[in-house]
Amino acid sequence: MKWLELLSVAGATLIAAMTVVVLYALGVRLTAIAGDIRNSPASWTRPLAYACFAVCGAAVLFGLYLIVPYFHK
Amino acid sequence: MVALVISLALFFDFTNGFHDTANAMATPIATGAIKPKTAVALAAVLNLVGAFLSTEVAKTVSGGIIKEGADGVQITPDIIFAGLMGAILWNMITWLKGLPSSSSHALFGGLIGAAIAGIGIHSINFESLLQKVILPAIFAPIIAGAVAYLCTRLAYALTSRHDPETGDKLTQKRGGFRTGQIFTSSLVALAHGTNDAQKTMGIITLVLISAGTQPAGSGPQLWVIACCAFAIAIGTYSGGWRIIRTMGSGLTEVKPAQGFAAESSTASAILASSHLGFALSTTQVASGSVIGSGMGRRGTTVRWGTAGRIAIGWLFTLPAAGIVGALTAMLVQTGVIGVIMAAVAGTAAVAYMFVHSRKSHVGHHNAVQIEEVGQAVQFRKKKSAARAIKDSAAAIKNGGAKR
Repeated sequence: MKWLELLSVAGATLIAAMTVVVLYALGVRLTAIAGDIRNSPASWTRPLAYACFAVCGAAVLFGLYLIVPYFHK
Repeated sequence: MVALVISLALFFDFTNGFHDTANAMATPIATGAIKPKTAVALAAVLNLVGAFLSTEVAKTVSGGIIKEGADGVQITPDIIFAGLMGAILWNMITWLKGLPSSSSHALFGGLIGAAIAGIGIHSINFESLLQKVILPAIFAPIIAGAVAYLCTRLAYALTSRHDPETGDKLTQKRGGFRTGQIFTSSLVALAHGTNDAQKTMGIITLVLISAGTQPAGSGPQLWVIACCAFAIAIGTYSGGWRIIRTMGSGLTEVKPAQGFAAESSTASAILASSHLGFALSTTQVASGSVIGSGMGRRGTTVRWGTAGRIAIGWLFTLPAAGIVGALTAMLVQTGVIGVIMAAVAGTAAVAYMFVHSRKSHVGHHNAVQIEEVGQAVQFRKKKSAARAIKDSAAAIKNGGAKR
């Protein structure tokens, strides 16, 4: 039985999904903060939100890299 | 016979496509991230592209579950024909019932049944069966469900915002998750195209090799690649709306943050499983993710009755497809008349199910009631708003405790 492979798949899934979700959620939160009207938000919130989304975009590109066999032969 | 098997394989590819559209596109459709028709079109294009990207053909039809090869048994086109018949019929039945079930497990089931009836029980490698079908079927939904549950909790905890003084809810912009959903679900669709179209290409190529029209060990010919790619894309575009309905709204109510968490878990699990050597079924991963994300958001209920029906469907996948495969194999052994009878009976069954499905039509227009429709109802909006406030209050309490 390939228990080790099973564990590594479970671990990789957990880490990858959590990373993407945490970053994206931070991005969403920062966007919401940056969009506040009542208390004027700090100027760094919006760029930071975009940075979070950009890292998520990189994660998607890495996913593409994994899917397309041409890249890792 | 070769032509018959090829056409059947292409039809299997088609059913595979429309059966699995839901895996990628059910949650974005349910949250309104992508319009239903656009979603299936996007999935179809990605499946088409994916099929052309990956054309490395497997060495064996069954991936080692049947003892194939030099020192094992010879899989004839007859057995492949019978196996495909079992898989197609099971795919059609589960589609009619709106149950997401693994197309590859259906194919394995059909092949196993056909091999037992046609060759004998010694042709089956039971250890490989346990490792490649039964254990993944147990662990795929557990892994995906647990990850999706955690991700959903995190997504909600991280985005809940309150005014520190008054305790009022501030804007949370959770609709922003919709954009993310487009990307994660596209990844799932592309991965599906590269994996599943390849299976059919492998079958057709192996049949061509065994028929002697193609040298052994060569890759699929261009027309085979193109046919498989288009079969799966057309299947995807025709959209298994019944299964989309089950996955998108039958199991649990899906909100954007939840859908994003579920899709990310599905995409991660599929990519991890295909690169770290423990194959998991896309359908089972996706179903598990949806259930997990439903458990992760407070105020939603998971309809365990539906989940139970799906689980029973998975239990029956192998034996049911196997029985059809075995019956077909026995018919085919009787000669040409048997083959014709099997082909006619199979076509009739598929046609009957299609006609039956027309009685209660499920299409892109009524597959999933999108959020806006729900929110138009006044009392429901208030209730969910109250619930949301309670949720985020609890989430903040939790967050505070963690910090």
